[in-house]
Amino acid sequence: MSETFFPVSDLLRRKSQTSLTVISLTCSVASTLFLLSFSYRMGLGFASGAEETLTIGLSAVFSQLILFVGVLIFVVGAVLTSFIVFLTMKQRTRDFGLIKAVGCPNNLVFGYFMTELLILALVGGMVGLLLGFGADFTVSHLTALPVYQKPFNMWLALLVFVVFFLFALVFGTKPILDAARLTPMEALSSVQYYSLATESRFKPFSASWMMGKIAVRSLSRRSTATLRIILLLSVVFMLLTVSISGSLIAKDTTLSWVERTAGRNVVAIGTNEMVNQYGRLQEEFVGIAGNNGTFDYFSEKYIVSDETIRQLRALQNVVKVDARLILKGHVYEISNFTIDPETLATIPVGDKREADSILIGVESSNLTSSWFLQGRFLENDGSLEAVVGDSVARKIFSKPLVQSLRIDNQSFAVVGVCVDPVNNGNVIYVPMKKLQQITAISGPNIVFIEINSTSDRAAVLDQIRGQIEGVKQDLTLIEADLILENSYAFLNSAWSIITFLPLFTLASASICLIGYVMLNVDEQRQEFMILRAVGAKPKTIVTIVGIQNSLVMASSLAFGLSFGIIATLLILVSKPVVSGFTILQIALWLTLAASVMFVLSLAPAMKFARTSLLKIMA
Amino acid sequence: MCISKLCKIYEIAETKVEVLKQVDLKVASGEFVAICGASGSGKTTLLNLISGIDKPTSGEIAIFAEDLVGKDEDFLADLRCQKIGYVFQSYNLVSTLTVAENVAFPMEWIKKPVEEIEVRVAKLLQTLGVEHRRNHFPVQLSGGEQQRVAFARALANDPPLLLADEPTGNLDADNTQRITDVLLELKAEGKTIIVTTHERQLLNFADQRLCMEDGRLANYNE
Repeated sequence: MSETFFPVSDLLRRKSQTSLTVISLTCSVASTLFLLSFSYRMGLGFASGAEETLTIGLSAVFSQLILFVGVLIFVVGAVLTSFIVFLTMKQRTRDFGLIKAVGCPNNLVFGYFMTELLILALVGGMVGLLLGFGADFTVSHLTALPVYQKPFNMWLALLVFVVFFLFALVFGTKPILDAARLTPMEALSSVQYYSLATESRFKPFSASWMMGKIAVRSLSRRSTATLRIILLLSVVFMLLTVSISGSLIAKDTTLSWVERTAGRNVVAIGTNEMVNQYGRLQEEFVGIAGNNGTFDYFSEKYIVSDETIRQLRALQNVVKVDARLILKGHVYEISNFTIDPETLATIPVGDKREADSILIGVESSNLTSSWFLQGRFLENDGSLEAVVGDSVARKIFSKPLVQSLRIDNQSFAVVGVCVDPVNNGNVIYVPMKKLQQITAISGPNIVFIEINSTSDRAAVLDQIRGQIEGVKQDLTLIEADLILENSYAFLNSAWSIITFLPLFTLASASICLIGYVMLNVDEQRQEFMILRAVGAKPKTIVTIVGIQNSLVMASSLAFGLSFGIIATLLILVSKPVVSGFTILQIALWLTLAASVMFVLSLAPAMKFARTSLLKIMA
Repeated sequence: MCISKLCKIYEIAETKVEVLKQVDLKVASGEFVAICGASGSGKTTLLNLISGIDKPTSGEIAIFAEDLVGKDEDFLADLRCQKIGYVFQSYNLVSTLTVAENVAFPMEWIKKPVEEIEVRVAKLLQTLGVEHRRNHFPVQLSGGEQQRVAFARALANDPPLLLADEPTGNLDADNTQRITDVLLELKAEGKTIIVTTHERQLLNFADQRLCMEDGRLANYNE
């Protein structure tokens, strides 16, 4: 019999075990490839979509989350692959001993099992690649999911195949080497197989306690396999936690950034033309519209008079009146030097880049907005300081906080970088007085008014309208919440795509768990057969597997949940906004996911319980 | 117990193997039946059908006034647990339970009081000479010891019907005698016993001596 023929016929003879291993390997490779490809396309979608429409800070949150989830998906797949081959080859220890016992030389037996391993890894990997490719094609071409259309990434497929194949070889070879070191007697010994030699005191309890004993001892008997599945599921639950809590917390956090920037209960007042121009400016910098031509920001007709501002401040239920001078301007980067603390050498920072940006003059004491900031906001209305939006910061600065910028001939020290979704990060805040001096514009052109949230909003708005109707100018009132809602709508749609990740992650996690339970039930086949033969009902088998699954899932959930939450809060989202409702949502989603996984994981046991006793005995 | 026209056909690949052919058997309550026959003659299949582990292709099996054909798994499981004790040829001990636990669990199954279980386990293990192994796991026992533990487990719920598939097949002379004594004791207690065996001593004690040949039951002729 040739060295190749024997392993092939042996694999064919052990149909159910072979197909179980190949199916598990296939699912592992396919789900990893599909999820990675899906995240990659989604990441690309965001990168291309976010380039013009999302402020850098926000798109960074999206890409960080997708990247982290992608890495975790890869780890899960790799651990699952190693787990499957380890378990499969470990089960062959007795066969190894048996073949050696009938006189087959050690190296020949080693060759047989290595050939088997190679065949399993190759077939599982190749079929997995095809299935993963098929799933990716289906999602990207045949469904309405908003993922980025791009040719399938062959390098990704190659990477997954090579890494998983190597993992399968390395982890599959380990038990074969272990078995090769044993004498035939040791390999055939039940003690070796069950690795159980401890005594325990007998004390009868209830039937359910007895089921627990069988479940726990079976898990501890296979401690290596149990630890591996706990490790695997921990990573899976970490992935699930990061996907669910990451997307929910990041969503809330980014929405809060928008809300803080736009302000809540804020209305804006300005001349019709100026208000429209500000809208057009936003559209231009968000990338919706092109350059909106020339606009005479210097015209006195757009100025909101000091008198009007004073009158507005005097109104009841008006919390703040934030007067701003808004215009489009050209800014220049000013390079600088820093000193290397070790060598004390001077290091040049920056270049001479320039860009168009929205320039906003503000009075720092009357702001209706607040920002997610690096550095600080303007503190002194008389200082030559500037806060730049994150998109501008990335466009024309290297280390903005140690650099300066120039507007016309006036330079400003950059003291802060802010995430400003309302202006898409293409904004520079400077003290209003200084901007007035540079531009020679005599006053603010848009006024934001924050209304007391507990007051009758409609009544206050009527009051404000009455006030502005009294002035000579053609002032108009717009609800600034509209800006907020537009930003909300965009972010919500973006996050709704991200929500597909946990869904697919859940599918992948369930595949892992079902794969494990299938192997687990198969390994306990003899045990369950005996229990049924001496009078256990089919539901007893399901209960024992249920106890085992609960123990494994609870341990994994504890690890995965802890590390997932830590990763989400510490690594993925800076200064996260976590409300009680968010925690409740996360808890509900995770409970639902764990319940779905638990119920699905019972399927192999239920199938087994329905199998006739004689079929199991055979 | 009454079996009539019992047939069992296995389909292996495309070949049909008729293991039992029109088997008829009547066993009165308290009777000791010994069945001998060559390996593969259908003895184990007959015991599997009587215990409800396997289902017949045709024919009837009535035990304790119940027709087993068509009964669901839960009913058959209860029957095996409470009314039928089965000693398997390959022992079939639960490897994750100790000797005492293996004997105890059919009783725990039907929620017997803890004290009663403890007493019964101790008595059975003593009777079968494996008391010193009570806290060992099956893999730590010899074949003969495992056989005796399997016997103890089969008797745990004091079943009225005992099926034993080659119960002395792996035992030495002393232990064979011990099992024979237990079977005789059970017979004296009025239990119905069906044993497949090659042991002449057991055949001699039997009320009905039968021989399975090519799937048919016939009276045993020396």
